[in-house]
Amino acid sequence: MTSKTPTPIQLQINGHRHELEAEPRVTLLDALRDHLGLTGTKKGCDQGQCGACTVHIDGQRVLACLTLAAQAEGRAITTIEGLAGEDGALHAVQAAFLEQDAFQCGYCTPGQIMSAVACIREGHAGSDEEIREYMAGNLCRCGAYPHIVAAVRQAAVEATS
Amino acid sequence: MRDFSYLRAGSVDAAREAAALPGAMLLAGGTTLVDLAKCGVAEPETVVDITHLTGLDTIVIDDRGATIGALARMSTVADHAGIKSGFPAVSEALWQAASAQLRNMATIGGNLMQRTRCPYFRDPSNFPVCNKRSPGSGCSAIGGVTRSHAVLGTSEACIATYPGDLAVALVAFDAKVHLGDRQAAVDDFFLLPGATPEREHAIQPGEVITAISIPGTPAARRSTYLKVRDRQSYEFAAASAAVGVEFEADGRTIRDLRVALGGVATKPWRARAVEEALKGKVLEPEVVRQASLLAVEGAVDHGANHYKIQLAPRVVARAILKMGETA
Amino acid sequence: MTVHEFRTRPGDAKRGDASDGAVLADQVGGRLSRVDGPAKITGAAKYAVEQRLEGLTHAVLVESTIAAGRVRSIDTAAAEASAGVLLVLTPDNILPLRTATDWLGTPPPDVAYCPLARDITFSGQHVAAVVAESFEQAVAAAALVKIAYDEALAIVDLSDPKAGDGIPVDAMTKEWGEAETAFASAPVRICNAYNTPREYQAPMEPHGLIAKWQGDQLTVWEPSQWVDGMARTYAEWFGVPFENVRLVSPYIGGGFGSKAFAYGYGAVAAVAAKMLGRPVKLAVTRPQTFTAYGGRAATRQTVALGADRDGKIQSIVHRGVNETSVDGMWVEPLGSVTSVMYATPNFSSRQNVVRVNTVVPGALRAPGENPSAFGIESAIDELAYEVGIDPLEIRLRNYAEQDPHAKKPWSTRQLREAFAAGAEAFGWSKRSPEPRSMRDGNQLIGWGVAAGTYPVRRAYGEAVVRILAGGSVEVESSSIDMGQGTYTILAQTAAEVVGVPAENVVIKLGDSRYARAGVTGGSRLAGVMTGAVHKAASAALDQLIGLAISDPASPFHALQANTLVVADGRIASPRGNGPEVSIAELLRSVGREHIEAKGDTMPANSTVEDRYKNYTTIAMALPHTEGDYSRYSWCAHFIEVRVDEDFGTVRVSRVVSALDSGRLYNPKLAESQWKGGIIMGIGQALLEEGIVDRRYGRIVNNNLADYLIATNADIPDIEVISVGIPDPHSSVLGGKGVGELGIVGVAPAIANAVFHATGKRVRDLPITLEKLI
Repeated sequence: MTSKTPTPIQLQINGHRHELEAEPRVTLLDALRDHLGLTGTKKGCDQGQCGACTVHIDGQRVLACLTLAAQAEGRAITTIEGLAGEDGALHAVQAAFLEQDAFQCGYCTPGQIMSAVACIREGHAGSDEEIREYMAGNLCRCGAYPHIVAAVRQAAVEATS
Repeated sequence: MRDFSYLRAGSVDAAREAAALPGAMLLAGGTTLVDLAKCGVAEPETVVDITHLTGLDTIVIDDRGATIGALARMSTVADHAGIKSGFPAVSEALWQAASAQLRNMATIGGNLMQRTRCPYFRDPSNFPVCNKRSPGSGCSAIGGVTRSHAVLGTSEACIATYPGDLAVALVAFDAKVHLGDRQAAVDDFFLLPGATPEREHAIQPGEVITAISIPGTPAARRSTYLKVRDRQSYEFAAASAAVGVEFEADGRTIRDLRVALGGVATKPWRARAVEEALKGKVLEPEVVRQASLLAVEGAVDHGANHYKIQLAPRVVARAILKMGETA
Repeated sequence: MTVHEFRTRPGDAKRGDASDGAVLADQVGGRLSRVDGPAKITGAAKYAVEQRLEGLTHAVLVESTIAAGRVRSIDTAAAEASAGVLLVLTPDNILPLRTATDWLGTPPPDVAYCPLARDITFSGQHVAAVVAESFEQAVAAAALVKIAYDEALAIVDLSDPKAGDGIPVDAMTKEWGEAETAFASAPVRICNAYNTPREYQAPMEPHGLIAKWQGDQLTVWEPSQWVDGMARTYAEWFGVPFENVRLVSPYIGGGFGSKAFAYGYGAVAAVAAKMLGRPVKLAVTRPQTFTAYGGRAATRQTVALGADRDGKIQSIVHRGVNETSVDGMWVEPLGSVTSVMYATPNFSSRQNVVRVNTVVPGALRAPGENPSAFGIESAIDELAYEVGIDPLEIRLRNYAEQDPHAKKPWSTRQLREAFAAGAEAFGWSKRSPEPRSMRDGNQLIGWGVAAGTYPVRRAYGEAVVRILAGGSVEVESSSIDMGQGTYTILAQTAAEVVGVPAENVVIKLGDSRYARAGVTGGSRLAGVMTGAVHKAASAALDQLIGLAISDPASPFHALQANTLVVADGRIASPRGNGPEVSIAELLRSVGREHIEAKGDTMPANSTVEDRYKNYTTIAMALPHTEGDYSRYSWCAHFIEVRVDEDFGTVRVSRVVSALDSGRLYNPKLAESQWKGGIIMGIGQALLEEGIVDRRYGRIVNNNLADYLIATNADIPDIEVISVGIPDPHSSVLGGKGVGELGIVGVAPAIANAVFHATGKRVRDLPITLEKLI
């Protein structure tokens, strides 16, 4: 595959297969938002500097804005839309964000939550200091940081109990 | 972003072949290439995706040292038990770099190819003059906003700072870059700008970084990476130091010392003068502080980056003294 | 979708939110979780440019690369030939628009408006735009537009020798007594200059919009702090009636003052949509957000304090300057806090604005009060050291018992209580007074205090409340929620008034088709809208009870009651006799689909024109010193910093702030907003600075890796304490402003703490490491 023109891409997102036609230069972020209507993943800077576009690829948190859609073909992608259970039950991190009021405008929130889920899974939620450092790649201009730390702490405790 | 074609390499040989084609660029984590393509700095004709190659992400620790596959992710290396115990400076340099997400994307090989954050380099539409992008056009940074620019290794053609952290630790511990059959010392792999700032790495078209290796030494085992910046996290270094110390049996006299600087030079900067001045000396705060001043010998500032000349030796001294505390 | 908390523990109740003890989460003053939360945490909330429309096209702006001069020519050939390109807009082919009324209500001059510039007055000005079938095609083609300029000499910033002293703004002059004479003869004199740089709102959601025309009807999906004001601007640009423009903004990814107006790029998108006959999406890129609209103007102030040896202020002489653009006017009121914080018999404040080649600056969280507080709250700290008095004590010694400028009593001023509560929680009494006297290894520790204030801005609002057949309540308003909690507090208000659970209230916001609202800015919305919803909901309840009492088909008809009560969605007699039915049952029995009431807080004799003016300009806003009182929110920040003595790096390690925002409609959300303001203040103090390349008059750090805002790792746990009491003079339900207040005073508290830690006084923000090394 060496064409510059739109070519078919198959993406495995939230357990479902999605097909789209996209040029090789289309990022995963634009593929999700513009091509597939999965707008829960946010575009805050489009240059790897804010974390709003955080998704999971093969279980690892990454930035969709610096990932080409073509590159993600064959990988398992999880977005905020795929985090809650099939029955709509909130993920423990989502519930903790709501309870701790860990967001205001909500725009960085999907990225924060995806990052937090991974942060706990990585084992980087052992202390408030560690949470702060390992959540530093998700900027929040509303300034919900202390409540984000509280939410991650709460969900991490729930995950181990 | 200009359009390009996408090629997924099926083997290292296929990657080499594709990378040799005009206008081809290797794509690993994408954190540099996709970013620079969006800035209009990188304009590949073909992007050769090597992230689906298998077997290039292994980390092997043995009695000679560590060998890290080029496609190992920064985060994996940072959290690797053998790296943390045998090469703490490497682990610390990695986890203090960028953000958790970027470290999950970026590979060790790609990290060595990271390019400068010079704002003039990154903005071709507003600053067409840049010797790195357009050789011979001049340097927009000189005379401009220079707070983040280099004070060591600069030339009249370029004062752009090497922004990375990992390579600073690598250069301190004499790591080697594996380019297939060939190996190059990391110190030689990174080039000074001189009159040709467009050439940043001693790598030929068609060469692919396959691994890096770090000799296991007592100094690497007792090492640290200290990164100083205004923002606590997710920022490039104002100044950083990778330091490793080996003491004589008395636990106070320095047998071996490794010092390298980040955030202040045009390439990862080995400070051999500091090492030589302190080898054989007993680790005393004032002695260390005096010797650390040698780290910035020959430094040249461009106004707003003058603070780096004051800061860098203090970072070096603190890092060395910290190694003494754990003796 | 609504999350329902039942009862807050009595111990959680704080003054100002629950003076009557436990408050139901559903009621005003309760800690109800955000009702818009579930949509935001699941990714279901659709922000403006996320609409999917048939035939959507993508526009990308092309900006000037010079700061002053004229466009000589624009070569669009390569862009037009580029794949997928539908239109390249330039000043030469764009449809002419009309100039619109400004936000103050000034009638516009009868001249054409062109959002693409031929005459360049700043670097980053919109010159052209490319519209293509796909985003990627538009981006690529935009890079191919070649613009040739005739460049002129630019005035790059306040320190440019060409800038001069600027233009006096007489309206900013505040004077009483003989300030200069009194200063000259004061036993203790302090006089210093304080500077703040260009700062940017940097909301996480970049600006942008989708514009779509159907005939002469325009729909705009755009994040907006002022749906009606922006709709009016679009309508006037295109010469169509206000009603023909629908502006939709249900979710806003942060504004901080930057999303209250329609800007040039909006006009570009709407024109392109009209010219193409297709909807156009224009998403401003992150770098473009630094010049597509203005951030906070760079400011300079000189504060001279004359005092006696006991630290009692005898005179304040204050001079301020802020930058504005070459062709626009922005005044950042630098004397706003200076003139009200402390009692002084002699006072003089004057301000100039200086024109430089920049985009016209704009509002950023607490415009005016924020830099003003940096000046006066740093200066009084300097005075404290000069006379050897504790920085907290000197503030109490100069406490203003009434508004020193307006000479009126405060409506409420719990600042003394804020100082006391904050100092107690922080442990201020354990402070060692000497600079550099507290340390932990290489870290110098400093404790600083500063006060802040923000006026209570008031206006009128309107709301529609419907009680629906199923027994739920619906509230409609064109006001917005950008994270302050409008959805939630209006749900609480309607729930409390009508007597239903908050989860049975649906709040619809952010659409210009709804009942109107003025600007969401200056912390006025919560007070305005809780009042309007309270009124509309009361009217709806009256109708409901009226029907229940008087409709022959009502089960209560035979009871001949004077009134009935509604609680938890059920109607009953206050005495408990007679039937008890649900709202749904009552509406069914009387055969009503719904009850609707519109309420507003406008004066009774208001005309249609008054209303239009009120909702689309700020001309009708009520002064905070109107009538018998002076109305302000107040706060005191106590901050600990740790400064590395070798590296000069500053980290904030502890914050305790006590704040008086009057009654809190929802303490959980108010605390979040306060903390958000404090955190933005930490970034302002230590990190944020738009850096200009003085050769080109251009911001070079126009991105989030180089314009640093605080990360999670920069922020310690923050304790906020509410010391407010209900203020009946400030709003219908007793609240004062929340959102702007928290940031005011944070930067000087940090600068004061840094002085205490290091003995170095930094008077230029931000306090970056090279200033302390």
